Amino acid sequence: MSYYDLDAILTGAEKIPCTFQLDVPELGYLDNNPGYTLKSGTKVLLPLWLAEMLAIADMGDHQNPDKSFIAFDLPPAVGKDVMAALKADPRSVPIRNQSPNFYNLAKHMMDLAEERELHAVVRKTFLTRAADISLHARKSGGAVSKGEGSNLGIGAAGEEFLRGLDEWERILFRKAHDGARSTKQWIEGIKKRY
Amino acid sequence: MAHPLPPGLTPAEVAFLAEMEMVTIVPRQRIESIDLLGGKTPTLRPPHRAQVPLWLALLLKKQNRANIVPPPWLHPASLQSIIQREKVEDPVAFSPPPPPPSRIKIGGTAERINDASDGVSPPFLPSCTADAPSGFLPYHWQEVAEALLAHAGDDMPASAGEVRGLLRDLAEIRAAKLRSSSSAFEGFGDAGVSLTGVGAMELADNRAFLLGVIDGVRTLGAGAEATRREQEEEERAERGDEFNDSDEEMGI
Repeated sequence: MSYYDLDAILTGAEKIPCTFQLDVPELGYLDNNPGYTLKSGTKVLLPLWLAEMLAIADMGDHQNPDKSFIAFDLPPAVGKDVMAALKADPRSVPIRNQSPNFYNLAKHMMDLAEERELHAVVRKTFLTRAADISLHARKSGGAVSKGEGSNLGIGAAGEEFLRGLDEWERILFRKAHDGARSTKQWIEGIKKRY
Repeated sequence: MAHPLPPGLTPAEVAFLAEMEMVTIVPRQRIESIDLLGGKTPTLRPPHRAQVPLWLALLLKKQNRANIVPPPWLHPASLQSIIQREKVEDPVAFSPPPPPPSRIKIGGTAERINDASDGVSPPFLPSCTADAPSGFLPYHWQEVAEALLAHAGDDMPASAGEVRGLLRDLAEIRAAKLRSSSSAFEGFGDAGVSLTGVGAMELADNRAFLLGVIDGVRTLGAGAEATRREQEEEERAERGDEFNDSDEEMGI
């Protein structure tokens, strides 16, 4: 997670459902109501970078120090439905459709809210899918040297799975694929040496 | 961020390192000792076997001046027993690396030869010569086997096709094991993967992927890990206080 990490920056733009805990004058345009006060209790979608700040910032209210500017819910991408589906079968969910930066988003939400179950499910999802990614990465390179199309022996289901990878998983796929490919290249080139 | 090369060695570099493995050859003509930077090569006298580095062996083989004696572990029977072990006897772990060479002392007890005395340690022990133990895969098994198959196919104990088939089977089985090893990180804390017996080429192949998985798990668990550590710290602080108290009591 570097300052220059594009994926981290893009994750900051993910929308989080938030509920304002106080009235904010002149902020009505966030709720399609320009010029008016944003009432306490209004639900708006805020980008992650802003929601994060508002959720953890101290209001300076000494009577109830736990109160913050906003209360946030889990975004639908890491919501109950998706988690239930992932728990049932991590492989069958195209998590890219939920969010291109699914794991980054999940990580931020876990840091903000202590969700033990969310953590367990996301971790299991990542590991289960990683094993599959490695398999696909190995197979999809295999046919290239023979001059045929890729994805030999994987078929439509494999392509479907690969299309559903989020950014982390794409990087992982690339790493696994590069490793398998360079080994293959070495084996093929060994005849020519010496 | 975007480094030109992935961490670790590339397969070509690993294969280059494997060329210093000693192999046994049967020379076909007399060749005087050559004075090289890494030491002198043995004088080659035709009927006698000699140990030379793989690169020299392949060179002599190419020039038709020597035949290579394949290491015993490359024998189909040995490969089959390794496959059997990997598949049936222990479907999780990798087959163990060759044991360090030992010699029999007078009185019948075996003792390990002190590795430090001649300056070589396990990955660089002569494990590809004709007197290497069979049934164990050395560190550079894949590189040496592929090189020997490609350039000394006629010196193989069985048909090159048969040996190659067995090698491919073995590589596939072990690759599948490496892949599934990532699921070991599901638990907290006590998770770990044993890579004992994994060859250099397999490591080069899977290093980037495995590191990626571990890094992902670490990033996902960073928050929970920090919380857990804080708790432990607190507990330790409490325990430490008690300990100090009892110490004081003892002092009184």
